[in-house]
Amino acid sequence: MTVLEQTKVPRSAGRRRRSPLGSRWTPYLFLAPAALFIVVFQAIPLAQEIFLSFTRTTLLNPTRSRWVGLDNFVRIFGDEDFHRTLVTTIVYVVVCVVGAVGSGLVVALLLNKGFRGRGVARALITVPWAAPGIAVALIATWMLNAQYGIVNRFLNAVGLGVPGGSILDSPKYALPAVLATTIWQLFPFTSVVLLSALQSVPHDLTEAATMDGAGRWATFRVVTWQVIKPVVGLLALLMTIWSLRRFELIWLMTKGGPVGRTETLVIDLYSNAFESKELGSAAAIGMVGVVISLIVIMGSRFVARAVTKENLR
Amino acid sequence: MKKRRVRRSMMAATTTIIGVASILLAGCTADSGGDDGGVAKISFAASTFGDPGRGPLLNQWLEEFNKSQSKVQVSAAAVPYPTFGQTVLTQMGSGQGPDLIRFDMPEFEAASDAGLIAPLDDLVDVSKYTLLKQPDQFVVHDGVRHGVIFEASNYAMFYNADLIPKPPTTYEQFVETAKSLTKGDVFGLAFRQTEAEEAGVWQDIFNYVYGFGGKWSDGKTLTINSPDNLKGLQAYKDLYDAKVIPKGADAATFRRMFAEGKVGMELNNGGYVTATRGQNAKLNFNVAPIPFPVRTQGAILAPVVINEASEEKEAAATFIRWTLEPANQVKLQEILGASSVATVTQRSAESLKKTPFLPVFDGLTESSLPQIVLGFEAKTPDIRKVVVQNVVAALQGQVDLKTALDRAQQQATELVG
Repeated sequence: MTVLEQTKVPRSAGRRRRSPLGSRWTPYLFLAPAALFIVVFQAIPLAQEIFLSFTRTTLLNPTRSRWVGLDNFVRIFGDEDFHRTLVTTIVYVVVCVVGAVGSGLVVALLLNKGFRGRGVARALITVPWAAPGIAVALIATWMLNAQYGIVNRFLNAVGLGVPGGSILDSPKYALPAVLATTIWQLFPFTSVVLLSALQSVPHDLTEAATMDGAGRWATFRVVTWQVIKPVVGLLALLMTIWSLRRFELIWLMTKGGPVGRTETLVIDLYSNAFESKELGSAAAIGMVGVVISLIVIMGSRFVARAVTKENLR
Repeated sequence: MKKRRVRRSMMAATTTIIGVASILLAGCTADSGGDDGGVAKISFAASTFGDPGRGPLLNQWLEEFNKSQSKVQVSAAAVPYPTFGQTVLTQMGSGQGPDLIRFDMPEFEAASDAGLIAPLDDLVDVSKYTLLKQPDQFVVHDGVRHGVIFEASNYAMFYNADLIPKPPTTYEQFVETAKSLTKGDVFGLAFRQTEAEEAGVWQDIFNYVYGFGGKWSDGKTLTINSPDNLKGLQAYKDLYDAKVIPKGADAATFRRMFAEGKVGMELNNGGYVTATRGQNAKLNFNVAPIPFPVRTQGAILAPVVINEASEEKEAAATFIRWTLEPANQVKLQEILGASSVATVTQRSAESLKKTPFLPVFDGLTESSLPQIVLGFEAKTPDIRKVVVQNVVAALQGQVDLKTALDRAQQQATELVG
């Protein structure tokens, strides 16, 4: 009996090992589709972009490239308009992150309080986030329309009309208008995420702080903020990456105008690639964007590690 | 045993990779039509297929072609005007795209220069037809025919006849009329003035530049900042500053305003007669030559071309030959309204009764020019971008007009080498 059992066990184990699902290649099998996806849709295009950025290639003849070395980079960094584009990109990203996370936090704190109709308010607040970006851009454009827009009419009625009539055509007001629209679209997301983070703050900690005589601000700073800080960090990183990549809203509202005042890196890239048909310059601009994104990601990791170390101490 | 397991696993992994790759590649492959049971299926891209008024009529006209043919079937591809060139040129650059394309001149020149358009000389014998010489000369490069005029539409002054019983005949009268009509939500004039409508602004400022004796080049050198150009563009800016136009309104908006009687005048091409009627059949409007000092104005020349990458060039040429037949030219002209077509055609008595100002457009053909930079045809889209950006900067008060034109001259010169 004992002998039989001893012989049976290795047989069944042997059968399991023979199954492809049990082999050491199984992980590779499961990883293959994802790896293929990354290679086909990310690694190859990125390699192609790096190659293009060192060539003179036009969209009309993309197969005929001429190697120009660093010429594209020298040209774009020597162009004053590109300097303005970089500044606009930084302003756009910083204001979007601060505006979306800040307003989201305020709204989340309000929604975290008990009041009548809180459920309805929580549902309504998600509407701008749920709306497609194109719809948001078109609604904003109509609201800001010089002739029929409700915002313009209101501003004119109270004597604060924009000189020239059109907010989106004003070099002074176009970027603030685009930023306001972007933040309006983003803040529901940040508020919902932060609301869930706020709900995870232990009540006993806030009650203990209150009992120890801490005021609202001190309780928030010492207890609540410490709990939600990692979520805020993650949101800031997400908002930064999304803002660096945002295209449709800016393009539909202003196409980067007037006179380049709302032109971010992505808009400049698109304009170079598909309007000027200069794929080489566009790829060089794209590489600048990639480098900025890498700096942001590495910076955020550095900050996250520093915060973790500080907390451990 | 172990080797077999490894082999089996490798086979499974390879099959998965090949399967996924096949699906991905199948998704990436475009369907470009082609032969289907002996019938060549071709596509014809034009922004005008989406025009209110003209679009449905053009689609009916294509159906007439399809009914007349047993071996070729053409389908319409309506691409919106603002992104037409960009969309179609991108497709053509990658060896794809529609078989037939109705281009505007700047994009036509860019495509022609890049070798994306099939020469027509061996496909269509134009000597059989009486072509209009003035517009036709611009679609032949160094003796090689790259297209046939589909539509030639001269610019003129559209005016609301209820608001303006007698049209202005001088620039001073033009300004005075615009100012006197502007009141409340009615504007005396409308034109494009935002960077978002780059191609449209270019078309509009072309009339001011050439109407004041200027030109974008002398054929060899760019003359963007010449005194005459400055004079013409100053007139354009003065009207902008005089608040006689609905600022910020795009063409779609102010054309609707014109159709609703809220805009008194606009400079537009003959193609918009049908569209304007489509928006308001009761609008009492008329047309007169643009009252600028020099009688030279822009014209929308829109050639139809065959994509060099098309696998159905002969079928596409069949369509062009059908288009050039006299009866079909007359029908096309009726659809296009006040535009001309490739050949010399007679306006019908019915058309003249319905649209008495048709001779005004026809009379402008000899003095109309395509909106390209002569001598730098293929670079026109790039020069256009530079000029429009700088002119808009001047409109917005970022810089004075002379400095803007000097900057445009410098940037465009660097661009064309």
